[in-house]
Amino acid sequence: MLLRARDLAHFYGPRLIFKDICLDLPPGALTVLAGANGAGKSTLLKILAGLIRPSTGSVETGENSRGQKPRIGYLGHQTFIYPELTALENLRFWTSLHGHAVTGSDYAAILERVELAPFAEEKARGFSRGMAQRLNLARVFLLEADILLLDEPGTGLDLRSSAVLLREILAARDKGAGIIWITHNLEEDLRHADSVAFLEGKRLAFYGPAKAFRLSERASVPRPEPFETREARGGEPC
Amino acid sequence: MLSAALTIARKDLTLTLGRGSGLVQALLLGLLLVFVFSLSLQPGQRMTPQAAAAVFWMASAFCQVLIFSTLYAHEEVNGQRQGLVLAPAPVQSIWLGKALAGIGMLAAAQALFIPAVIVFLGQNVSALWPLGLGILAIADIGIVAAGSLLGALSQGQSAKESLLSIVLFPLLIPLFLGGIRIGTAVFSGALAEGAQSWFGIALAFDAIFVAAALALFPAVYNAEE
Repeated sequence: MLLRARDLAHFYGPRLIFKDICLDLPPGALTVLAGANGAGKSTLLKILAGLIRPSTGSVETGENSRGQKPRIGYLGHQTFIYPELTALENLRFWTSLHGHAVTGSDYAAILERVELAPFAEEKARGFSRGMAQRLNLARVFLLEADILLLDEPGTGLDLRSSAVLLREILAARDKGAGIIWITHNLEEDLRHADSVAFLEGKRLAFYGPAKAFRLSERASVPRPEPFETREARGGEPC
Repeated sequence: MLSAALTIARKDLTLTLGRGSGLVQALLLGLLLVFVFSLSLQPGQRMTPQAAAAVFWMASAFCQVLIFSTLYAHEEVNGQRQGLVLAPAPVQSIWLGKALAGIGMLAAAQALFIPAVIVFLGQNVSALWPLGLGILAIADIGIVAAGSLLGALSQGQSAKESLLSIVLFPLLIPLFLGGIRIGTAVFSGALAEGAQSWFGIALAFDAIFVAAALALFPAVYNAEE
């Protein structure tokens, strides 16, 4: 298992965001994390990335296929791009910071894949939102992370760029990366998912195989619970 | 840790020198201070060596506030702070990287302040200049160690320059005192009795600031908003 979250709960001040969250991320699996606005998806992803500490519960990383601590690639709402550096300088900085050995041809290849090769030497301050997001994708995919945590990576992308994004995500999964993907385009992206985690009512209202997830049922509350709540487990941790 | 710190320092120097604004502002502020103090002198009058050394260190102090404010502001544009925290290197490598970039920029600024003090404040450099270089190096290490820590602490505050100055300057007084005592000797050519003891004091404060920064930085610099 690449990532294992147990009994996560999080508060912002006195406000409970979610509780009883248990997630497992095996290699080569794509989990779609969905829920309404404000359900806590981004908070959960940040907790899984190690960016914020949960109020309770734990997140543990296992080992990758090489027996090492898995590398985490995080793509949040912000692009991490330095506007005063060129596209290439941005990529060089992040790979160097992660101690990741990358050759010149690797940079050229990834920029080609995200269709930014002609802009490699241009400062990122002139990039549109979509171009900055594609450069951000290049940064994440260049790190060859074992765990990819993607928070609405399609934001700001046009149809063509969205296709590039999907291609890269699926390629990363095929290489063995475990992926958690927050999306609002659930109907479309569900087709590619192996499992779904659906946040609703401050809990994981559904966590299971994508095939078992019925989007139409999500509007009805209450509904048959396909997961065991902590109360149902007699207070036992998951 | 050192590799990540060097990567961050290189990036910060590229950003600051490429854009120029942060360093240029810091240089102008320091040079302006020296120039304004020179206006208090009558034509042909020399400022006392002690006062000239104090002006030099005051210019350096204000300069480094702007330097660290600029260095940490680089990560506030597009959420880069989260990216730095997520890197596999210890989070203290961010402190070290900023401190390395900061000491390079501070030294570059001081390389301009020294001739400015000599010309505008009518000072001469005596044969004791190696002592001056020594205290400059030792004091600068302490200044950037504390400056890098408090620069991270004040980032995101609406009045970060004021906060940084208020918190930082009292902490740096021992280093400034050492710098002024040795600077006085360099400009006057006479080493006061016991002046060398300031080297030991400055080194002790360097050690305290470095240790405090290494211990406190993870609590100060994180991705939580």
